[in-house]
Amino acid sequence: MSLRRNMARQRNIGIVALIFASVIFILPFVYIFLMAVKTKQEAALFLFSWPQQWQFWQNLVDVVKTRNYMLLLAYFNSTVITVGAVAMLVIFGAMVGYVLQRRPSGWNRVIYGCILIGLMVPPAVVPTIWVLQGLGLFKSIYGMILIQVAYGLAFSVLLYRSFISTIPRDLDEAAIIDGATPWQVFFRVILPLLKPVTVTLIVVQSIAIFNDFTNPLYYLPGKENVTVQLTLFNFQSQFQSQFNLLFMNILLVTIPPLLVFIFFNRQIVAGMTAGAVKG
Amino acid sequence: MVQSTASVILRDIRKSFGAMEVIKGIDLVVEAGEFCVFVGPSGCGKSTLLRLISGLEETTSGVIEIGGRDVTDAEPSARGIAMVFQSYALYPHLTVRDNIGFGLSLAKLPKDTIRAKVAAAAEALQLTPLLDRKPKALSGGQRQRVAIGRAIVRDPQVFLFDEPLSNLDAALRAQMRIELSDLHRKLGATMIYVTHDQVEAMTMADKIVVLNGGRIEQVGSPMELYNAPVSPFVAGFIGSPKMNLYDGKAAGEACATYGIRPEHLRLTADSPRWTGTVRHVERLGADTIVYLDVPGLGEMVVRADGEQFPRVGSSCGVAPLPGREFRFGPAA
Ligand SMILES: Nc1ncnc2c1ncn2[C@@H]1O[C@H](COP(=O)(O)OP(=O)(O)OP(=O)(O)O)[C@@H](O)[C@H]1O
Ligand SMILES: [Mg+2]
Repeated sequence: MSLRRNMARQRNIGIVALIFASVIFILPFVYIFLMAVKTKQEAALFLFSWPQQWQFWQNLVDVVKTRNYMLLLAYFNSTVITVGAVAMLVIFGAMVGYVLQRRPSGWNRVIYGCILIGLMVPPAVVPTIWVLQGLGLFKSIYGMILIQVAYGLAFSVLLYRSFISTIPRDLDEAAIIDGATPWQVFFRVILPLLKPVTVTLIVVQSIAIFNDFTNPLYYLPGKENVTVQLTLFNFQSQFQSQFNLLFMNILLVTIPPLLVFIFFNRQIVAGMTAGAVKG
Repeated sequence: MVQSTASVILRDIRKSFGAMEVIKGIDLVVEAGEFCVFVGPSGCGKSTLLRLISGLEETTSGVIEIGGRDVTDAEPSARGIAMVFQSYALYPHLTVRDNIGFGLSLAKLPKDTIRAKVAAAAEALQLTPLLDRKPKALSGGQRQRVAIGRAIVRDPQVFLFDEPLSNLDAALRAQMRIELSDLHRKLGATMIYVTHDQVEAMTMADKIVVLNGGRIEQVGSPMELYNAPVSPFVAGFIGSPKMNLYDGKAAGEACATYGIRPEHLRLTADSPRWTGTVRHVERLGADTIVYLDVPGLGEMVVRADGEQFPRVGSSCGVAPLPGREFRFGPAA
């Protein structure tokens, strides 16, 4: 009797939580979508209303064509930055984490200190620009990739290091006896076992880097260097009154990270909970 | 599937971790084709010694020769050895087939050769139906066999085992002991086997090396160690139940330590050497293990035959079999 009442209560709480979550997470999406398909005049009213006239295709073409297909260039740039930076974060994060965990030395404390500093101290923009200029990397995609790697590396090293500590050292030694070189131990035994963390890291970092607005704004000025988030910035100044196009642009920019998330969703949850070596 | 085999010679091997010396000068010859077992209490350096032979650990000083070749500074893979770990250390992301063939694929052997060798090893170890499984879908005994298969395909001259059976239950352990002995006979390779289980040492070894605190206490065949232990330590380590060891003076002998094995004592009523109170009796069927409290000596374990059941609390006389007593060291 009380058990059944308990279950009913639990279900009700669940339903309320679900409704609450959908309001928070779905409504903004719906709003963006509705704004994106409205006409210019209707969008200017900022109402949460059903569009009187659907202009989906028209708005889409307008946004893509704007400024000589700038959005496509931005997609390209952002993709290059994201793929490049995430690849380096995965490889270097795993390598540093591996060496740090497996080879204790007097330097470990120093390296740890650096990693924690990298995690806690906020980066200063102007000196970073000086450094980039000195290296000849300012306003270049490569410079931007390195910046993203520098900002994300501390986190990925910590993540990898703690995961690698759950991989028994016997595995390394078995591989060494089997004749593996240190590189082969890493790439053929350790790295494959890190897949759960790697997936998590890829998702988290690629969404963050793809969606990054401020860093490209500081470090990557120039029309040919535009990234997706900066297209919003350009639109807003150019189409002061064309909010329908602005929202269409937001919609387009939001889709790739959403796809990544939906695609990897299950592995992320698995990755958060899994140990490296099961029973 | 007879393999090449090689002797292992250690000359004054020492190993320190920081300031702590763990292996304190070991000289040992393991003949080609021998099954050599390292035994000793926990922390005496058995694993460390094995890892020195494998090359996973570098010696602080001393020389290691395998097959007449000085391998002291050689890479593990260049020593002609294979190792089976206590945890099996199977690669979790690879199938049984790839686990066994991993070393061969690193050596860039042709695919056909690898497949043939893996198939042969799997056949010998009855792993053929499991070749496409991942390690997590195997039982403990099957994992053990995969680990052995991974060692076999490399055609090593010397096999190294570090407590390979300690994760198995008693029945499986007994079975694997027999399988390992069979394997040794079939391959003819040198095997060095670490254990702290004296039953494994007695049943499988050609030669037992008893280690104590980083030194060799005694080397010999199982029966040599049983019949002629050089020290109370070895005497207490080999044989089950343990040898009864007493202070020489308390036992009325002119030696530092007096020892007598439980199986060399008999319960007797006429002219016993000692008389004690029965504290506990274990009936094993074929024998009965009797635990006595002997005044002045302490506990005494007697292995009597299965027909004798002294009552707990009763008083019992005990006499040693002549010629089976051990006297260690001069009297203090
Ligand atoms: N990498 C290391 N660094 C420091 N000390 C170590 C290291 N490896 C082993 N030791 C020490 O060396 C001693 C011998 O260790 P070892 O593992 O060889 O013992 P063991 O005989 O195999 O014991 P067990 O039966 O418990 O496996 C121990 O005191 C251990 O603490
Ligand atoms: Mg050990």
